[in-house]
Amino acid sequence: MAAAAVLLVGGRSTRMGHSKAELTWHGQSFADRIARVLLRATGGPLVVVAAPGQPLPPLPPAAQVVTDEREGRGPLEGIAAGLRALPGDAVAYVSSTDVPLLHPALVRHVITAVEADVDIAVCETESRFHPLAGAYRATVLPAVESLLEDDRLRPRELFGRVQTRVLDAEVLLADPSVSRLDPSLSSLMNLNDPADYERAHSLELPELPVETFGTLRENGRGSTSVRAATLGALARTVGITLDEHVVAALNGDQITNDGAAPLVAGDEIAFFSADGGG
Amino acid sequence: MTVGNGSVPAGYFGSLLDIDLSACRHARHPLPEALLRDYVGGCGLGARLLYDRAPARVDPLAPDAPLIFTFSPLVGTPLTTSAKFAVVAKSPLTGFVNDAMCSSHFAIAGKLTGHDAISLRGACDSPTVVVIDGGGARLEPAGELWGLSAAATESSLRESLGHRYRISAIGPAGERLVRYATLSHDGRHAGRGGLGAVLGAKLVKAVAVAPSQKVASAEPERVLALARELRERSFGPATAKYRELGTLGNLLAFNAISTLPTRNFQEAQFEGAPQLAAEEIAGLRERTRSSCASCTIGCEHIYATDDGSELRVEYENVFALGPLCGVADADAVLEASRRCDEYGIDTISAGGTIAFAMECVERGLLAAPWLRFGDGAALLRAVEEIGERRGLGDLLAEGSKRVAEELGGGSDSFAPHVKGLELPGYEPRTLQSMALGLAVNPRGADHNRSGAYEADMSGEHDRLEGGPPHVAAAIATENRAALVDSLILCKFLRGVFSEPVAEWAELLAAVSGWDVTPAELEQTARRIVLTKRLFNQREGWVADDDWLPDRLLAEPVKLASGRSGALPPERLRAMIDGYYEGRGLDAWGTPTPETLAAHGLSTP
Repeated sequence: MAAAAVLLVGGRSTRMGHSKAELTWHGQSFADRIARVLLRATGGPLVVVAAPGQPLPPLPPAAQVVTDEREGRGPLEGIAAGLRALPGDAVAYVSSTDVPLLHPALVRHVITAVEADVDIAVCETESRFHPLAGAYRATVLPAVESLLEDDRLRPRELFGRVQTRVLDAEVLLADPSVSRLDPSLSSLMNLNDPADYERAHSLELPELPVETFGTLRENGRGSTSVRAATLGALARTVGITLDEHVVAALNGDQITNDGAAPLVAGDEIAFFSADGGG
Repeated sequence: MTVGNGSVPAGYFGSLLDIDLSACRHARHPLPEALLRDYVGGCGLGARLLYDRAPARVDPLAPDAPLIFTFSPLVGTPLTTSAKFAVVAKSPLTGFVNDAMCSSHFAIAGKLTGHDAISLRGACDSPTVVVIDGGGARLEPAGELWGLSAAATESSLRESLGHRYRISAIGPAGERLVRYATLSHDGRHAGRGGLGAVLGAKLVKAVAVAPSQKVASAEPERVLALARELRERSFGPATAKYRELGTLGNLLAFNAISTLPTRNFQEAQFEGAPQLAAEEIAGLRERTRSSCASCTIGCEHIYATDDGSELRVEYENVFALGPLCGVADADAVLEASRRCDEYGIDTISAGGTIAFAMECVERGLLAAPWLRFGDGAALLRAVEEIGERRGLGDLLAEGSKRVAEELGGGSDSFAPHVKGLELPGYEPRTLQSMALGLAVNPRGADHNRSGAYEADMSGEHDRLEGGPPHVAAAIATENRAALVDSLILCKFLRGVFSEPVAEWAELLAAVSGWDVTPAELEQTARRIVLTKRLFNQREGWVADDDWLPDRLLAEPVKLASGRSGALPPERLRAMIDGYYEGRGLDAWGTPTPETLAAHGLSTP
């Protein structure tokens, strides 16, 4: 199984009154943030599905952009376009772009739920499916295309045709990572109108522990905590400039000096000299 | 003075001083310009001279085995960090090529004896000091110097010969043929691979050099301007870490990202790291800073040990004698490091071999119940026994590879070496470009000739998932190291160069007068790496020698994120195959005829 992701950015955003892809979350476009969260969670290929001619904000270089074949036909059209661009053995988390609190832990859980006998794992809360919070085997593409051909555009119909595993809140929160890092399942909170957007912005960002090492320490203090949505914002807050001489490690794992790297609850950030020689 | 007259390019003397210790003779041999241009100087020139001058399959400790000091075209210029020299010999630890570097005034005085290289072969009948000055070379009895530390020897010789003389000397460990004994100058060591034992086997306690010649650059004003500019850049952020905390500033950060080898590579994080970290102890212990001659970085941080004596503290000595042995007691670690300096022992190989022995004791393979992980007193005892080749130390003085061969019981699977050289403080499972660099480097597990950790720590690629980008990074960093070690400049300057090869070509052109291009230097780098491989091939290298200890391929390490740092053997195999292809080697790691021809090389 090759973990992958599909990000649908093409919806009409009628109620929001503005392209959701271009809305910003603490200075970063929704599309860029979600794309980066998905890349971080899967490490695999990422396909961004846009409407034909849709203007897009800057996206991470690893994103492959494709367009819907036909506009205005809902998520199945976008899912089909995304799966077509992926290898046949891929299992792709499919996401909308209006979920700024999406957490990699939930993405990983959903992908892992696509076990050998499962074709799709989809989240469900309050008896409502979240088709754009689900993991799809690329092999379901013929079933999706068949529905599209018949103008049957509701994802629920797809779930009836292939082996679908439903992940309700109880199941999701049984995963210790999800329950610790996203206990309210905010990953599934999509923003549909300006009021949602305002409400989301009023939420406090998670407080993240920060360590600095070596010459980056000031007055001997190496530990602090900061609320920030991206690595760049966090670095600025602690007075560090990310460049070729200074890098950060997220959770002791990946090393980056990319200020656009999204931060999420539970992250621990360490700044140190990029030059490890000695 | 030589300014590119005749066939001798500026910046060089075009001369090798060949000293036959057995016959008490010396002779000057010309070094052709083509050879100098093909190999530049330092490690590159040394590798070629070793290939040409060492009898095939020679015992590294036999009289016939040469030991060669090589200088560089930049030595003697005002270019910052250029006062460095290389020492090249067949390693008694690995049986393969060994090129260790050292710094400061010996480099300048050695070159200004009028030679680009000084070769010692044969052996003396009794302990001897080799003196090279305007009168040529002569051998003087070492007398009571035999048995002294390198530092005491140096001090005594400068008193007796005069302060014009600069000294490289071995300590008691070199005399006793500890296979990882060092050669020292001014407290710095040509540390890896046992060069001290090679000199000890020749009964040479020290080499003293005094300047008697001058050398000039082809474009002195251009060199001066480049030197001024480089000096300014050397004060910038790229060297801040070295200047302000020294390399020990690595320790805590490496711990945070699970790249700090601990308890003989059983873990990659050490709970005692804060007790040993520069951030924590520098304020309490640091006495002063120092630098090599002609250096504007000043990376050396001198600490006080608990008895008040002074010690240069580096990441590698603290890593190897601390976390690798599970010892968190800073007093014990610094004292062990000081004793290594006094005996003249490579701290990385000492720490690696002791840590390995500690695990062998745990597993019941070695009857030395006193030698336990975490025990500072046991660490100190082990260092002493190695330095004196006493008790268990006589076995540990052979290095972890030979200890494993002696003990058996599957211990070779966790003996921490490549080709016999103990691994440095960069965890290969979580730095997978580095893993490849360590596996294939001709010198063995070495972080100086393969600086691939640079790429792993840059965020350019996923450091836990070795693949084609890691192969490219390992080749590129190995090439850059081959050049910078041949020119020679200090690696701690590397961050100040935005286009390193182009800038180095400019420096070399201004010094030598050659119309050298970046493309030519890239070719030179590849030629140097290939020459070392050819030497190893002749000395018995086989493809299986390009590999890592089984432990690193079978036992993943855990990261704080929950991911594992795992390096399955098939992934390492794929990276090595990619490296062979990228280097123009065949599937068995030997250069193809086309590759040899493209680099002006041939096999005998």
